[in-house]
Parts: sequence; C-alpha cells; structure tokens
Amino acid sequence: MLTTVPTPAGVPVPLTETGSDPWPQTVLEVDGLTVGWGATAVERPAVENVSFRLAAETDTALVGPNGAGKSTLVQAVLGILPRQAGTVRVLGAPLSPSGRLPAAVRAQVAYLPQQLTVDGRFPLTVAEAVGLGWEPSGLRLPWAGRRGRGAAVRVALERTGCADLADRLISELSTGQWKRVLLAFCLVRPRQLLVLDEAQAGLDPQAADQFLRLLFDLRRSEGWAVLQISHDLEMVRRTCDRVLCLNRSLRCQGSPEIALSPAQLERLYGRGYVPYHHHHSRP
Amino acid sequence: MSLPAAEWLELLRFPFMQRALLAGLLSGSLGGLLGSVAVLRQLSFFSDALGHSALLGISLGVLLGVEPTLVLIPFAALFALVVAQLVERSRLPSDALLNIVYSSSLAIAVVVLRLLSARAGSLEQLLFGDILAVSWGDLAQQALLLAAVLLYLLLTRRAQILVSLDQGLAVSQGVAVGRQRLLFVVVLAVVVALSIKAVGVLLISAFVVIPACSARLISSSFGVYVPLASAIGAGCGVTGLLASAAFNLPSGPCVVIVQLVSFLLALLIRSRRLQPG
Repeated sequence: MLTTVPTPAGVPVPLTETGSDPWPQTVLEVDGLTVGWGATAVERPAVENVSFRLAAETDTALVGPNGAGKSTLVQAVLGILPRQAGTVRVLGAPLSPSGRLPAAVRAQVAYLPQQLTVDGRFPLTVAEAVGLGWEPSGLRLPWAGRRGRGAAVRVALERTGCADLADRLISELSTGQWKRVLLAFCLVRPRQLLVLDEAQAGLDPQAADQFLRLLFDLRRSEGWAVLQISHDLEMVRRTCDRVLCLNRSLRCQGSPEIALSPAQLERLYGRGYVPYHHHHSRP
Repeated sequence: MSLPAAEWLELLRFPFMQRALLAGLLSGSLGGLLGSVAVLRQLSFFSDALGHSALLGISLGVLLGVEPTLVLIPFAALFALVVAQLVERSRLPSDALLNIVYSSSLAIAVVVLRLLSARAGSLEQLLFGDILAVSWGDLAQQALLLAAVLLYLLLTRRAQILVSLDQGLAVSQGVAVGRQRLLFVVVLAVVVALSIKAVGVLLISAFVVIPACSARLISSSFGVYVPLASAIGAGCGVTGLLASAAFNLPSGPCVVIVQLVSFLLALLIRSRRLQPG
C-alpha cells in the first residue's frame, strides 16, 4: 500500500510504502531537509523539504535528472553543505547545524565522492590512504596504533583486490583502481552507513561491473546501509532495495518496481525519457 | 670571485657566521616542513602574498613607533585570516585576488617606509633578508617555532592529508575543515613573519615552495615526503650560506639558487625513474 503527499505542483504522488514495519534499525533519518545557497536560496532552494529513512543493511538508490539536487542532498546529509531547514539524524544522533556528529557516530559513516581528482603527483601511497580511513578523528600521533592499522589495511586491500597496489602512489592509479581503493578506505573499519555519489562515474562498463559486484558483495557481508546516487536505472532495479526519486523535492520513494515504473519515470524525467543502462553480467 | 679555502674556513669561526648557518638550517627546515602541506593545499601563491604583506606589517610598526616584530606576528595572522576569507567568499579567481593583495601590500609598504624616511637604507635588507644579522634570540625563537610546527603537523597529519585530498571526504571523516584551513594559514603567516628577517620579503615563498616541490617529485610515500622536504630545505639553507660566504654573494639569493639546483636535480631523478628499463 502506498501513501501519497502533494508535490509542490499540487499533484499527489506515492511517497512511502506502508504496512509491516520496514525499519528494523534506522541508520539515517532525514526530516524536512531544505538546502540552498546564493541569492535564490529562499525562493528556489536546490533541495526542498525532503524526508526519508534508511534502514540497516539496505541498499537505497537516489535517482533523478541532472541538476535535481542529488549531490546537494547527500552532501547536506553528511554535513558537507549547510542546510536551511530540517533535521538529519545518523544512528539516532542529530547532525549539528555546522555539520558535526559525535566522533563515534562519524566513524560509522563513509563517503565516496563523485570525483576525487588528485592534482599532479600526490605523495601518498594506497596503503597510507586506506590507513586514514582506519584512524579515528581528532589529534593523534602518526605512529599510534601502527600495528593494528597495518593489519586492517592489509585485510581491506586484499578484500578489494588492491593488495598489489599497496605501495603505489594514489596519483598513479586508474579511475577503476582508485574507486576500489576508496572502497578499501570504507572497509578498513566497521561502518554502518556508506554514501556513494555516482560511484560508476568515469568507469567503462567492464570496470563499472566489477566495482558494482564488489560493492554488492561487501554490502552483504559487512551489513552496510548504502545510499547511492545513480543514473543507471537498470542496475538500481536489480540491486537496490529502495529508490528515492528526487527533482528538487522528493517525488516518490519505494521499491524499484514502484518508484521506477514508466509513469513515475516520466513524471520524474519528463515525457520521452529513454532510460540509460549498462549491460551488466551480474549481480 | 671566490675566497681562498683558508679564508673561507676562517670565516666559519666567526659567531655571526655560525649563527647564520644555524638560521639557514632552521629556516630551511621550517620552510620545507610547512611547505610540504602548503604545496599540496595549493597555497604556494598564498605564502607569497603573506611575505609581501609582512612588509606592510613592518611599515605599520614603524608608523606606530612600535618594535616591528611585535606588530608583525598579529598583523600577519590577521591578514592571513582576512585574505583566506576573501579568497573563499569572493567570486574572483584566487590567483588574481592574491596578486592584487600582494602587489598592493608591497606598494603601500614601500611608500609608507619612504615617506617616514625610516628604514630607507635597509629596504633592500627587508626585501632580501639579512641572515648574517640574526641574533641568538632569533635562533631560539626559530627553534621553538620549528618544534611547535613539527608537533602541530604530527598531531593533525590525518586532517592535513584529508583536507588536501578532498574537503567533502574530510568532512565525512569528522575533520573540521574550516577550522583546520584557518589554523594552517595562521601558522603559515606566523612562520613567514618570523622568517622575514633572515630570508626577506621577496624570497620567503621560495623557502616554502621549492624544497616541498623537489621532495614531491621524488618521494615514494607521505612518510618520506614531509621529512624529505624539511631535509632539502635545511640542506639548501646551509649549502646556500656556505656558497654565499665562498663567493661573497648575498646570502638569501644564494640559498634560493641552491634550492633551484635541488629542484632541477629532483626533476632529473624523476625523469630517470620514468625512463623504461
């Protein structure tokens, strides 16, 4: 069964599935989130009045046309961008207006930005980069916990197939290798929430397939709740549990069957929409 | 014309020369250490602007009749904070904005100093530094600053790397990016302000940028990069001073020329490594 809410245009659209409690443990709770900047922030915010919840061990896709505010939304949820209104709670802890979370909660969150362009030769090895994901935030001498960090980094690199890259500089990696290293960065310590901004961007179909397979397997084994922005609706349909359809405001959310129905897609992307997808082998 | 070896060795026995060598070691090491992060953070031009603004701070001190060093540190720190905010909030490209800041700071400072007829004779000394004039007190100040900067970079290493890599990633990992960025520019400003006497307004950015770039070209990891940048800075400081004594040339420019040689050597090493086979 679906509930409906009026859109800014006044057209009721499905918002959430109801019935049995689908939230065994809420990892992320967003309520009435509005984000905007510049002179038009008040009249036309980039993201307006968005509410959703993410349950533990679920894979949620955030879809919508270019300029719909997807990256803005996830960055506001993570505290990277300031919000105008609304609340965000991660594992029950409120995100402060300045984007702060308690250190223990922050350590449970990992984020893969859309593009992480390393300018020129960056003297940081893959093992050192992944080690940064293991270290807690705050003041700490570099040699503190060296042994534990080394062991965790080795395991994370092996599980992501990056063991042979450990001593390479991050600026010498291909996009595909870099994305796998970032997954190792997430994997190096236990996490509960993983946020990906177009993880497939810059990857050829084969590399995208490999990355998605790895993400899919790790998500299952680690029990991560995943929130990922994607334009690949075919992949979303096959691998995600829930879909959030965004075009400045949340137009629809629910299972892929419901949220990605032709009628919903036309409402989200406009008439004459042609879906984009890779030809995946698995999962 | 170079000095004969005996005279050159004799020169090293003078306390002012020993102090100068220590100052070269300390300021070179400090420049390399802080420069290693400044270069990754793309703040090379910022350090240049800070150097030029220091002259404005000195002229302010002269104008107020206060010991310039006392005015210089708070002035440089405040100036760094204001310029950092300006760069962040202005819609102009940062290189253009910093160019406006540093050229106008220099122009105002020179005019003020000339009008006051103060320091007129030593303007060149301010522009190029006078490492031979450093006192034991200056050296103690630099040693303390080096220890403080080393501790600061060691404790905030993770934050410094993450902020240099990607600010969004840094925030998501619990780094207070805004605070870290401001703190770094204040530390950079203080180091620049205290190094002006030895290094000079025009050459200070070379001390921050060149050793770090040389180290960046040949370092195989971050663990190697930062100590190597500091060691190159220190080595160039001492070698440049020895060369300046041997050839009776100005010390600051000699150090920068040695830094340039080190950079060219690093380029050569890098290109050799990239050659197949």
